[in-house]
Amino acid sequence: MIPLLEISDLVKAFRGVRAVDGASFAVQAGSITGLIGPNGSGKSTAIDCISGFQRADAGRVHLDGTAIDGLPPQRIARAGLTRTFQDVRVYDTYTVLENLLVVAKPFATTNWADAFLRTQKFRETHGQAEARALDLIDLVGLTRLTHAPALILSYGQKKLLAFAAAMMSNPSIVVLDEPVAGVNPTRVNEVAEIVRAANRGGTTFLIIEHNVDFITSLCDHVIVFDRGRKLTEGPPAEVHRDPLVLDAYLGVEPGHEPHLARAG
Amino acid sequence: MKSGLSGVGAAKVAAVILALAILAVLPLLTSSNYLLGVAVSGLLMTVAAAALNLVYGFAGLLSFAQLGFWGVGAYCSAITVMDAGGSFWAGVLVAAGVNGLLGLAFGYPILRTRTHAFVVATITFALLCNLVARDWISVTRGPLGIPGLPPPRLLGYEIEGSARFFYIVLGYAVLALCFLYVLETSRIGLTLKAIKQNETLAQSQGISPLPYKLAVFTIAAVITGMAGAVFAFHLRVVDPLIFDFYYMQTFLIIVIIGGTGSFWGVVLAGAAMVVLPEALRFSNDLRMVIYGAILVAAMLLMPRGVAGWIEDRRLASLRANLR
Ligand SMILES: Nc1ncnc2c1ncn2[C@@H]1O[C@H](COP(=O)(O)OP(=O)(O)OP(=O)(O)O)[C@@H](O)[C@H]1O
Ligand SMILES: [Mg+2]
Repeated sequence: MIPLLEISDLVKAFRGVRAVDGASFAVQAGSITGLIGPNGSGKSTAIDCISGFQRADAGRVHLDGTAIDGLPPQRIARAGLTRTFQDVRVYDTYTVLENLLVVAKPFATTNWADAFLRTQKFRETHGQAEARALDLIDLVGLTRLTHAPALILSYGQKKLLAFAAAMMSNPSIVVLDEPVAGVNPTRVNEVAEIVRAANRGGTTFLIIEHNVDFITSLCDHVIVFDRGRKLTEGPPAEVHRDPLVLDAYLGVEPGHEPHLARAG
Repeated sequence: MKSGLSGVGAAKVAAVILALAILAVLPLLTSSNYLLGVAVSGLLMTVAAAALNLVYGFAGLLSFAQLGFWGVGAYCSAITVMDAGGSFWAGVLVAAGVNGLLGLAFGYPILRTRTHAFVVATITFALLCNLVARDWISVTRGPLGIPGLPPPRLLGYEIEGSARFFYIVLGYAVLALCFLYVLETSRIGLTLKAIKQNETLAQSQGISPLPYKLAVFTIAAVITGMAGAVFAFHLRVVDPLIFDFYYMQTFLIIVIIGGTGSFWGVVLAGAAMVVLPEALRFSNDLRMVIYGAILVAAMLLMPRGVAGWIEDRRLASLRANLR
């Protein structure tokens, strides 16, 4: 069975700094896969390349067997891969509902003339999109704020709204960049529950996160990044015991363990 | 909440009907060619400002090219009538076509540039239009311009007199503003403001920014060009002064005072910008000083324009209610 998302030999350098340095990994359809690694290990940059926001220097990306590298981000989103951003992004002046109605794909069957003239077809499509939006708003628990402008939401609520917007087009895979960073700890389990519910609905997830408990409880499979490439991968419990992983997080170069001993 | 909103809606409808009624009988109320002339230029500049609002307020593109389109439109209609023997109506259509092509051809390359480069490119475009008008003497007759534009004709009758010309202008203004209103309140308007707020977020949601920007830039070019084409027949002469920065500055002030991205705010500001200088005529010496002072005060009190100020009030009360 081919993986839903397959990355091979991805490279991205910024003025000589190789932020992503030959990364290869795969995400299986239906899974909740974690992507962890120290700060600056190139996780966000890899996601930017995969979702089309950065042009990779080398490497290939396949979504469900089709090459998507080199496509602009909007084409990749329409092909079924959506993402959230580490710095939470929503449309501040729009209401929660409008934030979801902006998403293009539910309106794919209508054109500008339909939208301008508010044709019967457009109104039907709009009705369906609105119904889906209200379901998603309910899923993330923002129903009370449906008609409130996004700028009055808390940071955590904005993350939930961004998550709902990423789900709006019914994508096959959603990439979440740190969904619970900065979220009230008492709410982290709620976010995990929301992801699980969406996953049961058939959506595959690739989740970048530093919160170990969140990743351990949620993911079936974890990929560990270090210095722009995959260090190891496996079930979360095993990965967190791996000495290589511990070294990577403590920032010790292989072969320089004595420093660690002295420092400890 | 619901009834309050529909109350606002009903008040808007009533205000629009009242405004249209006043405009419709204006030529009956006054026989002053001067006042009708003020109304004519006010309506056309409001249309041009509303078109700028589509580009700047909705798509976030601070375009000074509007001045170029305005002047090119004026030259198109004047040349069509004086040199090609066409009618006024043909001239306005030629202006629409030429500006549409110009908007596409110029917009396609420059809409890829970022904010500052875009602003510089559009200023250059306006300056270039001025230069062509001055130096392409065989077509534009150079600095002397094209004088003696005849009154438009409709069904064989000459539309002589300010009153009849006023109705042509009113008709065009209502059509253009209706078009912009329908566009801006549609899903296209929603998408445009999303692109303006956060282009990368919009892309991540499957929206291609360029087609939207190009469409809006071209539509604004056509509407502004047609307004300029009609304006030429108000002046009865077209010369390079049609590219005077005064026009651009007026469009921009109307948009900023009204509130970028607000259809009604801009229309209201357009009306105010016409009425205000006339209302201040009681003091001819201080007129422009008072006018300037009012503008500065408005900007200090309402930096996001009238519509932005109202929006801020609404948000403040919303926040208070949530507490
Ligand atoms: N636009 C850029 N220009 C230059 N350097 C960049 C750019 N984006 C990222 N980098 C560098 O690339 C490296 C990887 O950054 P990246 O944001 O991908 O790491 P990360 O794994 O997401 O880290 P974190 O967990 O802190 O979010 C860092 O050294 C960063 O400074
Ligand atoms: Mg990151």
